[in-house]
Amino acid sequence: MSTESHTAARSFCLLGLLFALFGPVGSAVAQENAIRIGEINSYSGVATVYTFPYKEGLMLATKEINDAGGVLGRRLEFIHRDDKLKPDEAVKAARELVLQEKVDFLAGCISSAVGLAISAYAKDAKVLYFATHCQTSRLTWDQGHRYVAHTTNNVSQYARALAKRASTLPYTRWAHISPDYEYGQNLWQEFWAYLKYLKPDVQLVQQNWPKLGETDHSPYITALLQSGAEAFFSGLWGAQEIAFVKQARPFGLMEKAQFVPSSLGNPDELDPLGREAPVGAITTAFAWYDDGVKKRHPALDAWTKKYITWATTHGMKDPLPKLGATWGYASAYIIAEAIRRAKATDPDKVSAVLSEGFEMEFPWGTVIMRGCDQQAIPPQWTGVVKMGEEGKPIVADIEEIHGKDLIRSCDEVAQLRAAAARNK
Amino acid sequence: MEMTTSLFPWITNSPLIAVQVMSGLSVGMFLFLLSVGMSLIFGVTRIVNLAHGSFYMVGAYLMAALIEVLPGNPVSFWIALLLAPIGVAVLGGVIEITLLRRVYRRDPMMQLILTFALILIIGTLVLLVWGPDNKSVARPEALAGSVRILGQPFPSYYLLVLGLSPLVAVGLWLVFYRTRWGMLVRAATVDREMLGALGVDVSRLYTQVFAFGSWLAGLGGALAAPTVAVALGMDADVLINAFVVVVIGGLGSFAGTLISALVVGELQSFGILIFPGVSIVLPFALMAVVLMIRPWGLLGEPEE
Repeated sequence: MSTESHTAARSFCLLGLLFALFGPVGSAVAQENAIRIGEINSYSGVATVYTFPYKEGLMLATKEINDAGGVLGRRLEFIHRDDKLKPDEAVKAARELVLQEKVDFLAGCISSAVGLAISAYAKDAKVLYFATHCQTSRLTWDQGHRYVAHTTNNVSQYARALAKRASTLPYTRWAHISPDYEYGQNLWQEFWAYLKYLKPDVQLVQQNWPKLGETDHSPYITALLQSGAEAFFSGLWGAQEIAFVKQARPFGLMEKAQFVPSSLGNPDELDPLGREAPVGAITTAFAWYDDGVKKRHPALDAWTKKYITWATTHGMKDPLPKLGATWGYASAYIIAEAIRRAKATDPDKVSAVLSEGFEMEFPWGTVIMRGCDQQAIPPQWTGVVKMGEEGKPIVADIEEIHGKDLIRSCDEVAQLRAAAARNK
Repeated sequence: MEMTTSLFPWITNSPLIAVQVMSGLSVGMFLFLLSVGMSLIFGVTRIVNLAHGSFYMVGAYLMAALIEVLPGNPVSFWIALLLAPIGVAVLGGVIEITLLRRVYRRDPMMQLILTFALILIIGTLVLLVWGPDNKSVARPEALAGSVRILGQPFPSYYLLVLGLSPLVAVGLWLVFYRTRWGMLVRAATVDREMLGALGVDVSRLYTQVFAFGSWLAGLGGALAAPTVAVALGMDADVLINAFVVVVIGGLGSFAGTLISALVVGELQSFGILIFPGVSIVLPFALMAVVLMIRPWGLLGEPEE
């Protein structure tokens, strides 16, 4: 072997080593008598476009809760750790938070892999973990247990919401492009299974599985163009979907087939695309600016203004509300409510309350915390991309459907868990 | 043949094959621009620059920032395309003088740790300066649409890339094989001490090479910016690709990098049609095969 290939191999090993070596940084000052929640999320690098607005929402709710007297007469305090998007990093942080910081609960996650890893640790350590931002359905379904609660919607609910809307389209020949990893596969399978259930004559004519983070999609685009599909689903997200859309437009792909992307309606994708946004695409969106949504949820406008003021004073470059901000906000309130109902911070007592389930009203509608799987069920929105004023794209024609009309039943969840237990 | 056509209906579809060849070609050309600087820096300084993807990212961010600042007329795009890589070259030069110069004689492990640290530092600085939000660069008006190739639309912006990359390849060859500077650089790769003894300022030469390699990374990033999202994480996304291309082609070989980039591009392009489920494995499989048969890469040179 030559020096070059040795160097190549060594550098990869070294990358792994360095990632493993980076330990938790900093230590929060313990606050006497506060209810302390160790919050682990990705606060550096690529995921910050989601986690920063989420954290603002979380902090806004925490301030409101504490200003109103806290929970059980005690302040709520979040201690944040950066997981650098790595499951082992997150588990290390979880252990440190539980053993050294003596936190009462764990919370956080944007990566599904991180969420599942913290959940496994929580199960062993018998610490209650609130998954606040990642979305894999496996958290509370096949890998669910009493020490994990999921305070945001899961993949299944919004995949089904989009499939329901897609089932009203006249198209039967479908293709898709989804990133080739856990989330992308989960999302596509949920979407396709539900679409086929609602509209049995659909057929899959072609599939594309680029790797997560692929930057050049032209071969996939030309393959899609020739597939004869009338419509195609996209499970891409964030920067990768922006790249895909920018590359697909000049090929004329969006004119040739109906585009049904799962997350394009989020402003982190739509805003940068600007005039290049694919008008007519059907997608999911938290369209707080939409007149119909405002009318349906009269309290939403005031919350939006409050959030914008809050995010602006915290120096957010883009202070407009994002879906993640609503999740951070709702998560803090759901955690507080669970503790309040349990009248204790004991994980088993709070878990018992969660297993009974409860409902909460938020400015954007009812969020059900379902007892059987400790899974949040919020409203879901789908819409159509339109060009707004001055080349700023929006999502319009919003249809709202509550997750409770889409989600798998408690019986189905029990079957999933039984199947998972058998496979072990 | 009949079975083949029923299995692979595209075989009889020549416009599809043509467009697929073209898109593979454009993938390959982007890959070449991305990786050739990394290969160059290794060839001369023997440093595997893990921060190469970070320079590429800075090139894209500078491109986005310049286009935002410059007045919105058609010339701005080209001015930004000219300036952004120069900015990256300056950054590369400064980093070479202040940091890398100290580790040339150290263990390769130290060099890797240093360039790895640069990934983290540059990534964090980009987040601090430009914030977490994704950015997008519009294509210049004249290249925003598409041209028709055998009746199939093909993005005209890619024609720019298809034209520019061979120019860069030829330019590199001319610089390194037809100028005195290129001759000195090649001499430095063979025997640094001897060249120094002959009175050549080798340190300065290394700085120039590193800045030049960074310029190439910046050019790759600036040119790719209109076709992707300018976003955090693009450094890591492209680094692996660059690595695969450079290892297949042979570290330090321009022609190897060019051939390898084109092979990987076409492999990806047709892999998608033939093995849609596993196409992303193909470049890595090729790298593994090359490492087994020719560990020094297609056109690299084995070391004693």
